[in-house]
Amino acid sequence: MKYGPLLFLGIFLTLASSWVGLTVIPQMQFGGLQTTKIEETGRDYPLNTWGAASKGRELYRANGCIYCHSQQVRPQGFGADIERGWGTRRSVSRDYLYDKPVFLGTMRTGPDLTNIGQRQPSVDWHLSHLYDPQITSKGSTMPPYRFLFEQRKIGAKPSPDALKLTGEFATPPGYEIVPTENAKDLVAYLLSLRADAALLEAPLGK
Amino acid sequence: MNSQSSPSLRQALTPSDNDSSPERKALLAEIDASCRRPVLFMFANGLLWLMAGTALALLTSYKMHSPNFLADWSWLTFGRVRPAHLNTMVYGFASQVAIGVAIWLMCRLGRVPFMQGGLVVGATIFWNIGVTVGIVGILAGDSTSIEWLEMPGYAAYILFIAYALIAIWAIIAFRFRRERHLYVSQWYLLAALFWFPWLYSAANMMLVIDPVRGTVQGAVNWWFAHNVLGLWFTPIGLAAIYYFIPKVIGRPIHSYFLSTLGFWSLALFYNWAGIHHLIGGPMPAWLITVSVVASMMMIIPVVTVAINHHMTMVGHFKKLKYSPTLRFIVFGAMSYTVVSLQGSSMAIRSLNEVTHFTHYTIAHAHLGVYAFFTMVMFGSMYYIVPRLALREWPSARLISIHFWTTALGILLYVVPLSVGGVLQGLAMNNPDIPFLKTVELTKPYLVTRTFAGILMTVGHTVFAVNFVWILARRRKAYQPPVPFIAAGLQQEAGAQLGKDI
Amino acid sequence: MLIYIIILAGSFVFLTGSALLALRWALRTGQLRDSRRTALLVFDEDEPVGRMTDYFPGRPLPPTDPASPSISK
Ligand code: HEC
Repeated sequence: MKYGPLLFLGIFLTLASSWVGLTVIPQMQFGGLQTTKIEETGRDYPLNTWGAASKGRELYRANGCIYCHSQQVRPQGFGADIERGWGTRRSVSRDYLYDKPVFLGTMRTGPDLTNIGQRQPSVDWHLSHLYDPQITSKGSTMPPYRFLFEQRKIGAKPSPDALKLTGEFATPPGYEIVPTENAKDLVAYLLSLRADAALLEAPLGK
Repeated sequence: MNSQSSPSLRQALTPSDNDSSPERKALLAEIDASCRRPVLFMFANGLLWLMAGTALALLTSYKMHSPNFLADWSWLTFGRVRPAHLNTMVYGFASQVAIGVAIWLMCRLGRVPFMQGGLVVGATIFWNIGVTVGIVGILAGDSTSIEWLEMPGYAAYILFIAYALIAIWAIIAFRFRRERHLYVSQWYLLAALFWFPWLYSAANMMLVIDPVRGTVQGAVNWWFAHNVLGLWFTPIGLAAIYYFIPKVIGRPIHSYFLSTLGFWSLALFYNWAGIHHLIGGPMPAWLITVSVVASMMMIIPVVTVAINHHMTMVGHFKKLKYSPTLRFIVFGAMSYTVVSLQGSSMAIRSLNEVTHFTHYTIAHAHLGVYAFFTMVMFGSMYYIVPRLALREWPSARLISIHFWTTALGILLYVVPLSVGGVLQGLAMNNPDIPFLKTVELTKPYLVTRTFAGILMTVGHTVFAVNFVWILARRRKAYQPPVPFIAAGLQQEAGAQLGKDI
Repeated sequence: MLIYIIILAGSFVFLTGSALLALRWALRTGQLRDSRRTALLVFDEDEPVGRMTDYFPGRPLPPTDPASPSISK
């Protein structure tokens, strides 16, 4: 039985087929997808994240928010994503044109974040939530991100950014909790997350 | 031990295909001796990573229900510990042990001693440096957040080079086999050894080094991640099962023809199945449909393999009582059937609608990587290590404890968490239930998982103790282990290897 | 769109064709006949069919096994 080479050919062809089929053809089909102009606003869609939000995106990557949060809205009639207010329409390929990597996610220990910027636009809410999720959402299993904040002695005058903490979360007297640049960047990224523009391929409500 | 010097290129391209090749087929003891250093070295390192990965696993599991635990140091935040756990287990433990088992099987089935053991030890050190760099990178905040590929690019380069240096010698062992007839395990091994570097390099190129645009990344990601299980761990696991069940019970495989059918159907269908991880996602419908169909087709190889293994075992189940290897391997083989059929069912859209995005998927993944693959690797190590160390396992009781804690542990992990996952999914698809309720209702199942994890930790620790013990005992006077005498060849090996012992 | 159809059809023909060729080769050269012999490859004179090769260390061996404990002394 001298079929070593033949065996190898089979091994080669089977993987080659799926590599072409599942990665190269998709790349040819929609790897070159372009931005589009939104009729009502006349703006391009999607826009690249920039400045603080793009730094925040790196924090989202580094701290593995993806292991509990997806960023994809399933279509109406498949799951209850739209009914839960996680988006106003299903997500489509065009929404992710600038994302490297894409944070599609496979787990929803926490809610989908595709549209969190529209759903929860309050910076203060996000900062308190990141500092300790129990403040805003009792019973949450989201970890606190206190390492994005600084506890420091109140100087001549209290910092305008300091978190307003009360009750069991209050800081010791004379101290305040101030968000670092990182915390602010992360919140800027979260606020930038909104996929609420109607697209030709994805009208609202579907 | 290596009388064989490395082949010249010309020889490598033209090995004799003659059945009556004058080259003597190597003795089993000779092969074992040639594998001793590289394979034991891989096992030892793999077990170190197993212990590290177990600690990370417990930490991850505990944090999942008690988020305040060790939360104030960024290196130990949940979103870093979790990928660190996955990558230690996949690249540090499972892949490394798999390569060790693959090398040993390749040499045994090809009846050829392993060449360049020393060089492979060096490459293995390099591999372990790569894993260390990658894990530290993840904990330090350099994770790519691409599932199964979290190690930063710089670690990926190291891993790839180390892998190439190791795998090439396994392939050479195949090329220079003295038994020219091929057994189905060799098919699986050859395929896995070739598929993995393709998957790993293509995925790194298209996702980390020069990322493709938009959701194409999602397709590449799941083509890769699913195939690490399907085309890397699964073939090596099946190769071991196809070897060890017949070998241990002393009965040839029920139908050799079925085993080849199983191989080709697996090779054809498994690699198309990955995009079922994105059902309902922002992907063209055809891509998802193709993967759903391929997932369904996987029933063919799985049922084929299940029938074949079962028919081989029929009438020999009593031997489970006597052989540690057989226990682990049969447990793994049964889990393979269960996890694969479960996987096919999870690709059905109406079930996926509920189970997707829930803990059900996590339970499924552990049924695959742990209950199937890891248990098969444990079983293989129980067979291989004594033959390399020329020692019997010091403690039968520790083996028993290892088996029962891990077998019960993984059941206690998978069953409750699957139930929790379904409840979570049903609640999530009902918009009248507030989201925090879906969090609350999973907590008891997450706590149960931590207990299951403790049980498995006990098993791993006990195994590590037994492993260190068997190696440490090598220096003492040599006593041939019972089954070896039975096999009637160890006296010979003992005489031959006297100086090493 | 046409290009994808051509690629898909082309690879379909190619893959099916090579599978059929491989099958023809296998049938002609009797690869599917001699499978019993291949299944025996894991055994040899030292470890023949019918002999168990793995045991719990130090525990009693199965009573009917040819490798009964008497040999070990
Ligand atoms: C261990 C899982 C887990 C991780 C990791 C995690 N979260 Fe969460 N997250 C949750 C849970 C559970 C909730 C729902 C309860 C709540 O609001 O805290 C949530 C809620 C949220 C919300 C509010 C969503 C809404 O609809 O109100 C935001 C925003 C958020 N998380 C952001 C993040 C960011 C940013 C990260 C990474 C730095 C992160 N999460 C990491 C579990 C997690």
